[in-house]
Parts: sequence; structure tokens; C-alpha cells
Amino acid sequence: MSVIGKSVARPDALDKVTGGKAYPVNFQLPGMLHGKLLRSPYPHAKILSIDTSAAEQLPGVKAVLTHHDVPQRKFTSVYFVPTDTKSLPQDLLIMSDHVRFAGQPVAAVAATSAEIAEQALELIEVDYEDLPAVFDPEEAMQAGAPQLHDGAENNIAVAPVMEFGDIEAGFAGADHIFEGTYTTQRAHTCYLEPRVCVAEYNGNDGYTINSSMQHLFGLREKLAFALEIPESNVRVIKPPYIGGGFGGKLDMSYIEPVAALLSRKSGRPVRMEHTRYEDFITTTRNPIKVYLKTGVKKDGTFTARYASSILDAGAHATHGAEVINVHGFAWLSSYHCENMKWEGKSVYTNNMIGGGYRGYGAPQACFAFESQNDEICETLGLDPIEFRKKNARQLGSAHPLVPGLTIDSYAMEEVLDRGAEAIGLAQRHPPGANGDGTTKRGIGMALFPFWVSGCVGFPDIYEHSGAIVKLNVDGTADVATASVDIGSGQITTLLQIAAEELGLPMAAMRMVDTSDTTTVPFDAPTHASRITYGSGLAIKAAAGEAKKRLLDVAGTMLEASPEDLEVVDGIVRVKGSPDTALTVADVASRAESPFIQFTDQGPAPTTLAEKGTIIGLSSMAPPSNPSPIAAGFVEVEVDTETGEVKVDRVVYSHDLGRVINPKGAEGQVEGGFQQGIGYALMEEIQFDPDSGTCLTGCFLDYKIPTAVEMPTQIESIFVESNEPTGPFGAKSMSEACVVVPAPAIANAIYNATGARLKDLPITPERVLAALGEL
Amino acid sequence: MKKLIELTVNGEHHEVAVTPEASLLNVLRGDLGLVGPKKGCDAGSCGCCSVHVDGKVVYSCMTYAVGAQGKEITTVEGIGHADDLHPLQQAFIDAGAVQCGYCTSGILMAAKQLLDTTPKPDEETIRHAIAGNLCRCTGYAKIVDAIKLAADRL
Amino acid sequence: MALPNIQDYYVPGTRQEAVELLGKFGENAMLVAGGTFVHGLEVRGVLGEIEALIDIGQLGLAGIRSEDGKLVVGATTNFGEIQAHADIASAPHYAAIIDALTYPPAQIINVGTIGGCIAASAPLYDLPCALSALDASLRINGGNGAREVALGEFFTGLFENVLASNELITEVVLPAAPANTASAFLKLETNANDLAIVNLAVRLTVDSAGNCADTRVYVGGGIGESYARAVSAEAVLNGAPAEAASFDAASEAVVNDIEPVDDHRASAAYRAHIVKVYTRRCLATALERLG
Repeated sequence: MSVIGKSVARPDALDKVTGGKAYPVNFQLPGMLHGKLLRSPYPHAKILSIDTSAAEQLPGVKAVLTHHDVPQRKFTSVYFVPTDTKSLPQDLLIMSDHVRFAGQPVAAVAATSAEIAEQALELIEVDYEDLPAVFDPEEAMQAGAPQLHDGAENNIAVAPVMEFGDIEAGFAGADHIFEGTYTTQRAHTCYLEPRVCVAEYNGNDGYTINSSMQHLFGLREKLAFALEIPESNVRVIKPPYIGGGFGGKLDMSYIEPVAALLSRKSGRPVRMEHTRYEDFITTTRNPIKVYLKTGVKKDGTFTARYASSILDAGAHATHGAEVINVHGFAWLSSYHCENMKWEGKSVYTNNMIGGGYRGYGAPQACFAFESQNDEICETLGLDPIEFRKKNARQLGSAHPLVPGLTIDSYAMEEVLDRGAEAIGLAQRHPPGANGDGTTKRGIGMALFPFWVSGCVGFPDIYEHSGAIVKLNVDGTADVATASVDIGSGQITTLLQIAAEELGLPMAAMRMVDTSDTTTVPFDAPTHASRITYGSGLAIKAAAGEAKKRLLDVAGTMLEASPEDLEVVDGIVRVKGSPDTALTVADVASRAESPFIQFTDQGPAPTTLAEKGTIIGLSSMAPPSNPSPIAAGFVEVEVDTETGEVKVDRVVYSHDLGRVINPKGAEGQVEGGFQQGIGYALMEEIQFDPDSGTCLTGCFLDYKIPTAVEMPTQIESIFVESNEPTGPFGAKSMSEACVVVPAPAIANAIYNATGARLKDLPITPERVLAALGEL
Repeated sequence: MKKLIELTVNGEHHEVAVTPEASLLNVLRGDLGLVGPKKGCDAGSCGCCSVHVDGKVVYSCMTYAVGAQGKEITTVEGIGHADDLHPLQQAFIDAGAVQCGYCTSGILMAAKQLLDTTPKPDEETIRHAIAGNLCRCTGYAKIVDAIKLAADRL
Repeated sequence: MALPNIQDYYVPGTRQEAVELLGKFGENAMLVAGGTFVHGLEVRGVLGEIEALIDIGQLGLAGIRSEDGKLVVGATTNFGEIQAHADIASAPHYAAIIDALTYPPAQIINVGTIGGCIAASAPLYDLPCALSALDASLRINGGNGAREVALGEFFTGLFENVLASNELITEVVLPAAPANTASAFLKLETNANDLAIVNLAVRLTVDSAGNCADTRVYVGGGIGESYARAVSAEAVLNGAPAEAASFDAASEAVVNDIEPVDDHRASAAYRAHIVKVYTRRCLATALERLG
């Protein structure tokens, strides 16, 4: 292959190293106003009255909104489900008189400057009735707890259960039973570009929206639904790229509908931008408490696996009602066992609303099961690699989640073996035996054995993609898609796939950066490890259609059958006789030329069959949902006097089907480790237990790893299993690398010290406590 | 309330009316149209807003614009452009150091101060030199590679 | 708006002008040197009353000079200039200063000033902890003339100090190094761009008999409203042999002198534990530096 597998430079990098002009945060319109939200200081309250008259009088203020001014149709903000979904609770309002978390917007102002809008907020008087609040999901389920939503008895938003085989018989047949409870925290994606939007009311119930988000069509749907207008009345502009998402921009936030309504009220475009504090209280990975009970034979074979998971959804269900399911899937699909049962609960509390975050329930699951698997191996003296191989799923077996599909590529053994070899797992010391004085060293590993490449087979989740590929007369190609590049290189990957299919060099490829919901086919969001696979297949199909047309025209020109032609590096040639050739530019020019061309020899007619832009279009769902695999191996150093953990070395082993762009793949894995080590060791959104106010609303208090905390050695191993349904054999990888660091690090800490840490984040303080030093 | 100040940015002289407490970042972005420096936290913690003042990297979000008068201010737009990239900019492209890119402008400025003063920095020095800048995409590995690459080429 | 009452940003050219402005605006004036602390307060919305920002960058207060064996550091001397000063960088006596300045990122090193981080009067800052252990003093100037105050007597509480509203710090005086003296500083942080969860500085002199003399132990971070001088630890050390056993004893005593807090960053118990560990480690480092 000429383009696939090459570390071509990102087309968007040039703009980004020279200042990055195309981010939504830079978008402006003439006459634009600036909107700000007034947020409730109370976690649970009823609004008795709001007086906005003083704010309206302030010079420069052009519009003020309260719950009296907004439609009262309840919706879910999650992009990837249909608006009329039955699977997720529709429990959200743009503004409501019922406040359920500290920070919920209760009023909004648009003014000629952000400063005036902020001043106006201070002039709004809200009379609240403070209501009792509940912050712990287990307390929220108790009798007598404040009830947050009608119809959600005991504050349970959803309570899915899955069961296979006979769980009791499985435990009865076990030689050993292991139990453990694992807790995970609230963590923020920390995209660096804030959520920002510019909304413009166009008259006739129509709006145009520019936003930093991960799903063009999702925003269109959700906004139209919440505003109670037809979907096509909302036109969403595709940003050429956004400044990070990681799942954190996978739902409509308050600012888009509020900006739209402020624009309508003021008659001017309205821009709204989150402060970092607002971003921190807008979306989070849901905390989940996982109880595991696992039965094993002496040789390590699973006989029964039971799990129960309690998820803190926060004030509204949104993603929390889906994360719980995917979390259950991640646990269930990870290893084979005849007898399995899982019970999940997604529970309303007066905490901030949850959201999407890379891994989507899997990090919480994998931390629990891979920590316990390590404990099983240590207790029973089993080899951690052989134990995992023994219980893993197998190539060719039935897909554990989607009926009718099989596992068509699955290089789990190679992933494990190569990673273990690279880190030296077999040579590691017994727990606590490496190091002296106050420094202990350890090696740990974790496997994330089964995941998704998109959402085919999952109920109620969009998964189709589309693209337009168009050739230009100079031999270049323009590709248009609704798929948003959120930073991880979607533009590059998709263009490489199109280039390979067309037979064009990468330099001839260009991603159209002026698309919107009126000009390109629907695409599911940039989420769920789906772009390379799902969007990639659609891009490949569109390119294939354009290529077919290219060969038809070239066949006429060369007086050859299209089947006998091939395109290599921009040249169309007859297979076996490379001198009989045309450039793609020649062919595209002929297709676009007037019917009769005036040449040096005089007028020369062409044929009708040759005429017309060479273009390909696709809109399709992918045929499967192949699983990537990630195994993480880490070496840590633990200061047993301070409890500080330093990760020195990482080996990351992945089955991703086929590497499209090696540097891009490495970069994604390395970045995934940064998020994973942060989740493992330091990151946590915390709230004041009395007021519900966020204590970690800035980067001084919410700590993420800098270059100094990151290991200097991250080795990436990519196993190419060649997924038969994937574009050029590719499947996905973007989430699996975020999932394994926490359990790998926890297991390495165990190997270093003999202490088992079951609560994230593993702060120095928790390490010391586990060592009995505190 | 606004006062007229004079700023020298990327060698160009500007007169601009600002409020007394205006941050240099807001003036660069809002008044001068220099959107290379980014607002990521507005609290001197993320580094996206980093620019040079008299050749030293600073957080422009916590620099008062009025106080920056008479000093040489350089933003990422001032170190190179599409047809004449600074070696660091080229190295960031070549090494795959750019993902979402929102941190890139600021990290380039932190890296530039490093290479201005330390032509051949070791890995630890590089990592400390960019410790005032957060990146959430790359894990910094390719950024460190890019800075080494640029140091080799300079 | 973070500074709703702001009237102007002043850049006085002389000390006299600066003092006059301070006199005019009193409590409603805020001095700006590097600006990082002021900005931090501003974004937290606690400067609502401030009417004047007074930039003291043009007063000629930057620079380091020798004076009768002492080092005199101008108040607006930034961290980078201090790091680069040959006498400070090389002397074991001043090593705690260099230790403290290894922590901030370049963007803070370039603008943060010695006077600014002292005047801030928050024990989260590192350099004042180190300077306290070195018996630094402050030269203060203002409407009532000049005076000199020991740094150990400067802080009166969180964000509070002995400065009158019309006074400013002009210089920081580092006394001449006693013979056979070294210092060390450590900070507990979560990432490399952090405010101290705990910080600690020691100064150790070893006398001719090999005993500790005139020791200083200062603790900051979340251990009280301002830096704490660990007199109990000092008492254990002075006269005791300069060796690990004494340092262990001092580290047990040090917790008598601090009131660590419980907050979202660490528990009081953990802070106390770290203070003990750091006391031992800093003393050992200082001893090592004496060769």
C-alpha cells in the first residue's frame, strides 16, 4: 500500500503551528453579542421568583432569559441517540424552576460585551427555596431521600440487568471465590478549548449554530427538539477542527439553546464561551462503585462472574443512563465465562451531570476486573499472561455483544506476549522484593480484552456515516464528511483511506472545511472508537465510487476496459502495460471539459459518456463491530515514605487491525496514557460536601500530568490482525489505551509494595494508608 | 474608563484603547486579532496563552496589557508563517507533535525560550521547560521529540 | 467584571510617586509586580473593592547587590534573575533558595518577584519559606519612612502582614552566611505546576564539635495561616550531633509547631506525616551539602 501505514504529516498541522485560526473559539459574526449564564449556588432548590428588571436596564444589555422564556419540553442532551429515544430518560430542560445541582443555569444575559453581561448577572435577584440535597448515590436510593425526578423511584434512573447461564451453579463449582469492591472518581476530559458557540437567529424559526462539539447532526437534532422546531430549521456549521473533546463534547450543553434563544430575543448573533470553571462542572466521567464476585477453578478458569455497579448520574441522567450499560458490556465481554450476571444502577443525585469520556464506562470496569484478576493470579500463583489467555475470547467465536456477528480478527495472544516480553514481565520480582530503603519498584499489567469499533448492534445508537469524494481537474480530490476532527487526526486518517482507495498521493487530498448539516450526509458522532472503522468505510466507499467513474472515463480515453485499468500514485494505467497511461488530472479534465474541445488541431468532440464531475457519494452503516485489544505494562517506583508513585516506563501493546498512520497511532496511545495516569494517580473533581460547590474548578486544583510526571519511555507495539471487514484491515484504538493504565498502575504498585489499592485516584495519601504508614 | 496604550507586537506598533485591568491575552485576541495565543483557563495554569515579553515566555492571561507597554511582545504568529516556518514549527509538524493543537501555540513559545537559551537541551530540561503548559492529547512524547528535532536542526 | 471599581492602572516612575498613590488609594490599591498573585485574586473575584493597580516595575527595584557581606535583593527582582545570580547559585548556605526555584514553570520564573511572593502573605508560596529559614529581612519604605523587619516577623495571618497601606517592600536582605552552613528546601506538589500542599526549608550550621547550631526549620503549605517556625524541632537539633538520629528526633518534634489543615488536596494527618519526612530529608540534604 502506498499511503496506508505511512506517517504522513497532518494536513491541519500547518495551520495549528502558525496560530490555529479555525477553532470555534475564534469564530465571530458582525454585531455579535456575548452571553453569560447565572448559575444556582444551591444544589437543590425551587426558584420562587426571579427579578431581572435591573439587569434589563443596564446599558448594553440586549436580552435576558429565565425559565419563563424557554420551551419546557424535556429532552436528553446525548447526541448519539434519536431525540425520541425510549432508552434514555428525557429529563432535562434548558431552564427550569427546579434546581438540581449547584451551577445549574437559572438565567442568562446577552450584552454588547462579556463584562457587561457579567455585571448584569449580578443585578438579577433570585429567590430560592433551599431543598434538602443528596450527593451519595447509595444514600439517594434509601427511603426518605429527596426525590429528584418524577417517575424515578428511589432516584434510580435506569437499572439494567444482564444474566447468562446459572450464576449460582457457577459459584458452586468454583474452587475459589474472590470478592472485592472498587471505586472510581469523577474525572474531567480537560479538553483545552472551552465549550463555545455562536448562535444566530435567521427568522422563520431558523437558526445557524457554530459550536465546539463532536457531532454536527446531534447538535442539530437536540437543539431543534429542545426548541420545538423542525430539525432542518437548525443549520450547524462544521468546524474544520476543535480543540479537543474526548467525549466531553458529546452532548448539547446549556449554551447552545440559550445562545439561540438570546439571539432570537435580541435579533443579533450571540456568542457564549465557558470559563474553565463552567467546563469543570458541565461534564464528567461518572463515578462508579463496582462490586465483583468471581468464582475460579484451581487452574484459573472462571466458573462464575458476578458484578454489581452503582453509577452516580448526577442531577440528570443524560449519558449516565447509557454509560452504565456500556460499563456492563465492558465487564461482560471482557472474558469468557458460562455463568455471568451483572446488575447496574444509574442513580440521580444533586451532583453535577455526568457525560461522555473516552472509554465510556470501561475504565471503571477494567480497573475493577483487572485489579481482581491480578489478585486472583497472585493468590493462586498463576501466570498473569496464561491466566488471561485461558479465559479470553477466541478468534472466530460469536461476538459477545452483537448477535449474528463473529470475532473476525483477534490477536490477543500476540498482544500479550509481545508486551510481556518487552517489559520483562517474567523477570519481575515478587511483591515488595524489588528495592531497598524507601524506594520500591514494581511491574504491573492489565488487559482490556474486548471493546468496540463503533456502535453497530447497540440499541438506539446511531452508527451510519457518509462522505462525498470529488476529483478536481488538477488531479486532486476534495473529501467532505460530517465527521468532526476532535484532535486525534480524523482528517488525516480519512484522507489516507480515500487516497489509498483512489490511488492518489496524500498531497492530492484535501478535507473540505466548509461543510454543514445542509451539505453533507449524516454521520454518527466522533466517539466510540468509530471514525477509522465506521467513517473510514464510508469514505472508502465514496472514494471507490469516484474511482469507478474515473476508470470509466479513462477507459473511454484509453480505449481500454475499465477492469483492465489501475490507478497508482495519480496515474491511470493499463495493468501490465504501464506506458499506456494518463494522469488522473487528464481524466478529470476530460470529464469536466466542454463537449467539443478546441485543440491545436481544431475542434475535437468528446463523448457524452465522459462528461460530468468525477464524484462519489456514500451513506452507509458498517457491517460489524470488531474489537480492538489493549494491554498495558508499566514499571513504577513507589516512595514508601511519602506514598508518591512515579511511572517510569510503559509498554503499550494493541491489536488495531491495521495501522493507518504510525505516528498518529503512537500519539493517540501516548496521549491516552496521559489521561490514564492522571485518572490513576491524581485527577478528581471534588465538591464541598455541605454546599455542593466545586472545589476543583481550575487547573490549580484539578491536577493533570505535565510533561514532568509523564514517563519518558512509552513504547507502542501495534499488532496488525487485519480485520476483514475494516478499511484496509483497520479497526479502532482511541479508547482502549485510556482504559488500561489505572489497573496496570495499581497492579504495579501491588508488585512494588504488596499493597492493593482499590480506590481511584491512588493518591500518595492512599498509598501510605495502604502501607499502614498513616 | 478605557485608556490608549501603545504595544509592540511581532515588531508592529499598535495603539489600542483598553480597560485598566485588561489582560494582554484579551487585547491580543480581541483587539489585535492575534488569535494564536489561546484562552484555556484564564488563570495562569494551562499555558495556551503563552507569549514572549522581551524574549521571555509569560502567561499573557495574567499579564496586564497596560504594564506591557514599551516591551517587545512576540506571539506564535511572530515566529514564523506558512511559507517561512520557524524550525520549531516545522519540527512540530514533522514529529507528529500536533493533535488538537490548542496547546501548540503556547508550547511553541515555551520551547522557543528554551532553545533561545539552551541550544542542546537534554530530555529532563525539555520536560521542565514545558511544565507550565498542559496538553491533553499527546502525552507530550512527540512534543519532546519535536523540540529535540528542532534543536538538532538549529 | 473582576475589578468593577478599577479607576486606572498606574505605572509610577519613582518610589515617591508610588508611595503617593498608595497614600491616595489606601486599602483600595493593589501593587502589581509580576502580576501572577494579583491575577489569581482577581479571577477569584476577591478584588471587588480595588480602585487602583499600581505597577512597581519601573521603580528600579530589580537587581541584586552585595552590602557588607550581605546580599540585597531588590523587591521586583524576578525568580529567574535570582536563579542566575552566581553567589546564590553556588553557596550551600543559599541552596534552599535555588531548591525553591526549581519548582515553578518558566512562565512564573520569568515574572514572579521576590517581593511579590512575600507580600502575598500566603504560605502556599515556596520562596518565602526558604528565605525565612535564611533569616532574611525586609526593607520597607512608605509614607512613614524606611524600616527593616525580619521576615519571620512579617506575616500576621493569611493574606496579612505588617505593611501599612502606604508602605511597600523595597528590598530583601539576605544576611551573610555563617561558616559551615547549608540549607535545603522541599515541596510536596501533585504536578510540576502546583501550589505547595506542604513546603519546608531548613538551615543547618554544624559547629566545630560536629553539633547542630542555630538551626532553622520553617514549614509552609496547608499547615496554618502563615509559615510556621518549627521551634520544637530547632530545640531538639541545637547542640545535638549533626547526624541521622538527631534528624529523626527533630522530625518527631516538628509536628508540635504546625496546625495542618484537612482539605480537598490532602488530609491534616498526611500533611503532618510529610512534614516529618521532609524535615528529615531536608536536614540530610543540608548536611550532605556541607560535604
